[in-house]
This record gives sequence, C-alpha cells and structure tokens, in this order.
Amino acid sequence: MKITIVGAGDVGFHIAKRLSDENQDVVVIDKDPAKIAQINENLDVQALLGSGTSPEMLKNSGVNNARILIAATDSDEVNLIACMIARNLNPVIVKIARLRNQEYLREEKLLGKEMLGLDQVINPESAMVETILNLMNFPGASEVIDFEGGRVKLIGVPIRKDSRFVGQQFRSISKGEGGLLVGAIIRRNQVLIPHGKDHIKTDDLLYVVTTPDQLGSLFRKFYAQDRELKRVCIVGAGATGASLAAAMDNSKVNVKIIDRDSAICTTLAENLERVTVINGDGTDGELLREENISEADFIIAVTGDEESNVLMSLLAKTLGAKRAITRINKLSYLPLVSAIGIDSVVSGRLSAVRAILQYIRRGKVLSVAPLEGKHAQVIEAEALRTSDIVNTPLSQVKFPRGAILGAIIRQDNIIIPTGDSVVQEKDRLIVFALDKVIASLEKLLTVKLEYI
Amino acid sequence: MIHPETVIRFTGILIFFLGFSMGAPALVSIAYRDGTTLALLYSMSISMGAGLLFFRLGKIKDETAINHRDGVAIVTIGWVIAGLVGALPFLLSGSIPDFTDAYFESVSGFTTTGASILTDIEGVPKGILLWRSLIQWFGGMGIIVFSIAILPFLGVGGMQLYKAEIPSPVIDKLKPRISDTAKALWKVYLLLTVLQILLLVMGGMAVFDAACHAFCTMPTGGFSPKNTSIAYYDNAYFEGVIIIFMLLAGINFSLHYRLIKGDYHVFHRDPESRVFLGIVAVLVLLVAMNIHGSVYDSLTRAFRYAAFQVSSIITTTGFATADFDTWPSLAKTILILSMFLGAMAGSTGGGLKTMRIILLAKHSYKEVFHIIHPHAVTAVKLGGKVVPQEILSSIWGFFVLYLGIYVASVLVMASLGLDMISAISSVAACIFNIGPGLGVVGPVQNYSSIPLPGKWVLTFCMLVGRLEIYTVIVLLLPEFWRK
Repeated sequence: MKITIVGAGDVGFHIAKRLSDENQDVVVIDKDPAKIAQINENLDVQALLGSGTSPEMLKNSGVNNARILIAATDSDEVNLIACMIARNLNPVIVKIARLRNQEYLREEKLLGKEMLGLDQVINPESAMVETILNLMNFPGASEVIDFEGGRVKLIGVPIRKDSRFVGQQFRSISKGEGGLLVGAIIRRNQVLIPHGKDHIKTDDLLYVVTTPDQLGSLFRKFYAQDRELKRVCIVGAGATGASLAAAMDNSKVNVKIIDRDSAICTTLAENLERVTVINGDGTDGELLREENISEADFIIAVTGDEESNVLMSLLAKTLGAKRAITRINKLSYLPLVSAIGIDSVVSGRLSAVRAILQYIRRGKVLSVAPLEGKHAQVIEAEALRTSDIVNTPLSQVKFPRGAILGAIIRQDNIIIPTGDSVVQEKDRLIVFALDKVIASLEKLLTVKLEYI
Repeated sequence: MIHPETVIRFTGILIFFLGFSMGAPALVSIAYRDGTTLALLYSMSISMGAGLLFFRLGKIKDETAINHRDGVAIVTIGWVIAGLVGALPFLLSGSIPDFTDAYFESVSGFTTTGASILTDIEGVPKGILLWRSLIQWFGGMGIIVFSIAILPFLGVGGMQLYKAEIPSPVIDKLKPRISDTAKALWKVYLLLTVLQILLLVMGGMAVFDAACHAFCTMPTGGFSPKNTSIAYYDNAYFEGVIIIFMLLAGINFSLHYRLIKGDYHVFHRDPESRVFLGIVAVLVLLVAMNIHGSVYDSLTRAFRYAAFQVSSIITTTGFATADFDTWPSLAKTILILSMFLGAMAGSTGGGLKTMRIILLAKHSYKEVFHIIHPHAVTAVKLGGKVVPQEILSSIWGFFVLYLGIYVASVLVMASLGLDMISAISSVAACIFNIGPGLGVVGPVQNYSSIPLPGKWVLTFCMLVGRLEIYTVIVLLLPEFWRK
C-alpha cells in the first residue's frame, strides 16, 4: 500500500518509520534538505525534497495512485492545502490531517465532504487530554491504549520494588478471576511475551489487557493502598491545560490550574465553575507549597516548555505530590524521562503519531510499545474454521512461544481468555506477538495477517 | 564504527550466490561436453561452502546495524572477493593457469571492463566462456544491487549498500522501498538483455554467441567469445543491434524504467540524456569524416565503423569492429578522449559520466562569470533544479582523485617499460572500464603482454573505476577503521 506523508518533522518521521517497518511503500515530502537527508540515512522510504503544497511535487510523489495522504507538518495551513491538492489529484485518496488550531476544528463544514473532504483530523492537544484523563483514572499506569473504541484497554503497569507480585509467576495475576491478562512485558528495554510460568521482576513494565469493568479489580490487585482521586494540580493553561481543566470542571475532583499569564488566568476563571485558577509560576517551590502540593494526587505539567515541565514535576514530587504526568515534545527524550523518576509522559507528537497509526490500521494492528515498538505487534485477526486454534481449549493449542492471545471478541462480547477458553469460528482475536514469531503465528491461524 | 560480523555475513551471502550461479555454465559445459564440467562443479562447491561458512561466522543483529561504513566495506571487500570467486573456474579448468591472469580476467569481467589476457578466446571451452560473460552481466547492474533485490531483510541497510555501489553522483530512488528499486532496475536490465538476445538470434547468430554478446553488451562489458570481437561477423545488422543496445546500456536505467512506465518523452526531457546523445552524434560525425577517404572509401562504411567504435568506447563497452589503432590521429584522439567522458550516471557504463561533465562545465562557467560580476549570486542548475553545493564539491573531489590515481598509474605503467601511448591508453581503458586501448593493448591486441606488476595496477584501476573511487579509497584511510 502506498502512503504519502507531507512533513518530515518528529511526527512525520515516526509515522514513516513505523509504516516502513511494516513493509508499506512510504513517500515523504519535506522542504528542509537536512530532514530529507536524515530520512534517507535512517529509513527505507522515498524522501523527496520540495514543498508539500506544490501540486507538481505531489504529482511527482505519486499521489495519484497512493491510498493515503498524511499531512503532518507543524503548520495547519500547509496540512490543509496539501490535503486539498491531493484531493484534486486523486479524489479517492484517504486524507488525514494534523490540525492544532481549535478554530479550524469547529468548522465541521469546512473540513467535511463539501469543502476539504478530510477523512480524519488528528488534533494532538485533544488526543493528549484524552490520554491524561485515562492516566488519571488508572493511577499507577504508565500508559493506557484503547482498542475497539475503548472496549478493550491495554494498560502499561510498572512493577515497583515493593509490589507484592515481584517474584511471582505471571499466571498468579490472572488466577482466580478472568478479565485480565499480561500480554507483553518490557524488561531492560526489551519486549518479551510472557509465559505463564515466567516470574515477574522488579522494574518490569507489564502490558495488561483488560476490559473497562475489570479495571477496579485490576488496580486493587496492583495498588491496594491507592485511594480515590481527590486533588489534581495542573500547571500551564495553554490549549492542553485549559481543555483538561474544562473536562474536569464538573467532576468531584478538586482541580487547581496554575499559569504565569494573568490575562489567560482571568479568561479561564470566567469560563470555569469549580476549578481554582492560580496566577503564578509553576516552577516556584513556595507557590507550590502554598497550594498544598504535598496533598495532590497528581501534578500535571503541560506548559509549552518541556524542560520546565520536567523540572516542576520533579520539584512537585519532592514536595510530596504522589504522581506526575509530564508533557514533553521531543520524542527522543521519552526513554530518558521515565528513567529520572517521572511517572508518565504525554507528548502531543506521540499522541498524534499514535492517533494517525490507529486510524490507518483501523484497529487491525496496534502498536504495543511505542518506545521499543519495532520488535512486537498487537495484531487482530479473524479465527477461521480451518485454523487449529478453533474449537480447542486454549491450553491445548500449540501457540508459538513469543505470542499470546490477549482478547477474544465475539460479536459484542469481549472475552479475556484463560486456559479453558475456546475460540469459535468468526471470533476476532487480539494477539500479542514478537515480530520474529509472526510467520509461525500466520501458519497457526492459517491466514496471511492483514496489516492494514 | 564498522561491524566486522555484518561484513563477513554479507560477503558470505555474496560468495554463496556467485557459486550457485556457476550452475548455469556447468549445465552448458555438460551440453557441449567441453570437459570443464568437473572444474565448474568444484568451483561451485568451494564457493558455496565458503559462502555458508562466512554466513555462519558473521551475524547481522539488526538491519539498521548496516551503517554507512559497513556499506562501503561490504561493497569493496565484496567486489575484491567476488573477483577471487570468479577466477576459480578459470584456474581449476586450466583455461587461465596463472593466478594473476585469472584474477585480472575475473575483475575485468565483474567491473565490466572487458580487458582480456586471453590470446585465443575461441579455444576456451564453452562453459568457461559463458561464465566469463555471466560475471560481466552480474557486475553490470551490480552484484550488491542484485543482493538488495533478493534479500528481503536489509531495509535501510540496503540503502547504504546501494549508495556505495551504484555509479552515480545522485541517488534516484524509483520506488519507496530500496529493494523494490533494485528489483525494478534488474527487471529493466533483464528485459533489455532478453530483447537483445532475441534480436541477435533473429539475425542468425548462434544462440550461445547471442547470449554471450548480450550478457556483455548490457553491462557495457565488451567480452566477446570471438577472437576478433564483433568484427568476426562483418554483419551490419548485428553491428546495428549492438550499437543500439550499447547506447541503451549507456543511458540511465531510471529513464528506461520511466519509459516502460509510459513516460515517452523522458529521453528528450532529461538534460543529461540530451547531452549524451548529442555528444555521441557529434563524435560519430567527426570520426566518420576523418576516416572517410583515409581508411574507408565509402561514406556509408565510414559511418558504420565510426558509429560502432564511438558508441563502443563512449559507453565504455569495448567491442570492436575495426582496428582503430591504425586510424588517423584525430579519430584516435577523439576515441581516447571519449574514454574519459563515459556514459550517463545511473547507467552500467564507466568513465567520468556525462552528468559530472555537465556539472563541472557549468560550475567552471559560474566561476568565470564571478570574475566579471564579483557580487553576482548564482546557482548551478540542471534541468531547472538547483544542484546543491555539496554535490558539486564531491564531484570536484572525485575528479581530482580520479586524475591523481590516473596519473600515478600511468607513471607506473611507463616505468614498467610500456610506450607512452600504451601506458596512457591502458590505464584509461581500465580505470574507465572500457577494455581495449591503443598500442600494445589495442583492439586487435590483448593484455597478456603487460608485465605482472602492471596487471595488478590495472586490476586496482578497474575496481577503483567501477566503484567510483570514494568507495575504495576510504577503505585505505586509517580513519575508516578507527572506532
């Protein structure tokens, strides 16, 4: 499948990387020679130097026979025009645009069929707000990824020294009740697919598949002492902070939002009901102490300055805040930030990358771990009658080591499998697998796995 | 930093594949009962065994582990070793008993030079003759590019290899994925080769000879299974077909690909192909006028021989239909100078390449222009696109290095006792991958009379020329091996 990406910034680069790793034909256009050179050096994609808004350029890039156009530059206007020109050249092309300006998002008519005909608009800010809300609902999770429109959740759970699961076998987690399953673990930066008899070690990051109604019990298991969410402190009232505050305005949670700009604070205070708006500097320890940061369940640092976000998160945690969610921009900082003691990281670019990839795959293939992503996949496939997996209890199915069945979707029901579960014909399966066992997995399922 | 295990493993793949391809000449030798079957089968098993051993010894942890340095090392070392593998059948069959001669012939094959040390080609068994043509065919589009096309796992590592082997100052990726690009190029190459075989057979050439000639035309190689090359046939139809296919081989293969894809004006639109074909036309005209009357009485014959010789030399093929060593001075000089010009970038030909000549000329003009208008802001353009300064400096560096190696090699050859014309033309014929030169290495002569050290110098020149200097030279710098 041919995919054209306009913009070779962080977002464009990472999408191109993921798609080319999955053997898609990717063409990237950017007008910065340095970025093109970087892509040529690192990725097996066609990198073209030129403007993404030039019809000539788009024509040369082969938009005419491409399936998807992803406009992922930092400029909304460039993205919109690129989509417009692509539509003119190829009326059936699927167009995905990254748009940040909220004003554009409100103009549904403009973006819709009549005018631009965008198939999907990716707004990194709202994707980020979504991620933050998810993370707060599941304190302790480093990451929450939705499948099937949120009906299946994949949650990253870091195992700390004091966890009662350290040293136990994986099967002990799901023993006794169904509804959750460890699909993958990240141990020392490597993705592993666990076997029931393997042991859990300190600093493992478990990826647990579960359904929303099982979340309570999941968190009771992992974090017996965690209380209900009571106090949250947001620093930075930009687009992300403001919409986050607005989303939490009607909840029972006590929310404070801090920003340096008094004008922004005034507007915010006028628009919000219950949220306390504070005008001040989030990196000021005195101010944080004054606002009882030690009692906060979460400090959410979402200013536009990523370095300050990291510093104020660390500051707030030393002052007693329980957990920190920190916004960063540069994707190359991701592995570093969790190492210095910040609990969860959100990034507009990462959210955009993930949202775009999810849309392209439409729930068929999702990434397990965006950080170590290229070694493992989450795959969705239909169970065929001819496959050995059908009508046999799972404990007797010879699954390749390195792959695990994460969920069975049968019509509207979601089943988290145990050894006794039986897959029926036409069930849809969510399977975790290391890249290297995908071939044997295909054999077991007697299908060629569809990536898109 | 370079990963030796990656280099070893990849070299193993290469040797294994070359050994495997000896199966074709082995079958031919069985069919002709030429007595070399055993020698070919021995070579085959030695190469495949060594390939497997290398493959086991090395390992590629991750395709991204093939970095730029690995790419360069794999390509250069791969070519040096491919020369050894190619020489095995010559040695084992006894067709070329001397190691230096066998290695010279083999490298001359892979680099598509076509310089031969054989004095009686027609006496060589058929199986060996086919192998000799086949290595030219592999070398033309590139043994590494072939591996990229068939190995699925290389990914971006393939790009590093491709860059190091493809003879062009700029990389033209035809398809988003490098292995698809390599596949597309090989398909065009295969298609043109088959087409040429068909046309030659239709004209009445024996199938074996037609295949050998086509295998040596498309890579602009120039090995012929006949002692007197194409002159053996004295057939205008064969010459016409070969002229056309030599010129096609001298044109950038991306243009062929675009033509096949339905872009019919691509030759006309591409500035390089316009200049290349223009130069060919002018040189043919000049040479024909020069040899008309002095060598050939008929104007048609003058044009026929001029067209063949000019196309053969400028595309760096090296077939001959006339002993141009006996032609008048102007014709000879034009032929020698057109050795330097060479074919188009991205073709299978050698030489400096038309694109570099154009850019050097344009850049020099800008320098002169700057003397007249010291404050002028200018840019060198090709086909309406600005050529980045880095490419221009890399071409100047390339040019100077080429000249340096050329001059040094000529001095060595002269010190070995070659006369001036032979020294100058033998090095040019080898470094630009042409084959025949003038004097003792003229079109009706061969390289067997060159002294032993001279053969090694020329072998080095052939490799340097085929891999376009940088790839070979960086391996000789100590900085390359530092961590």
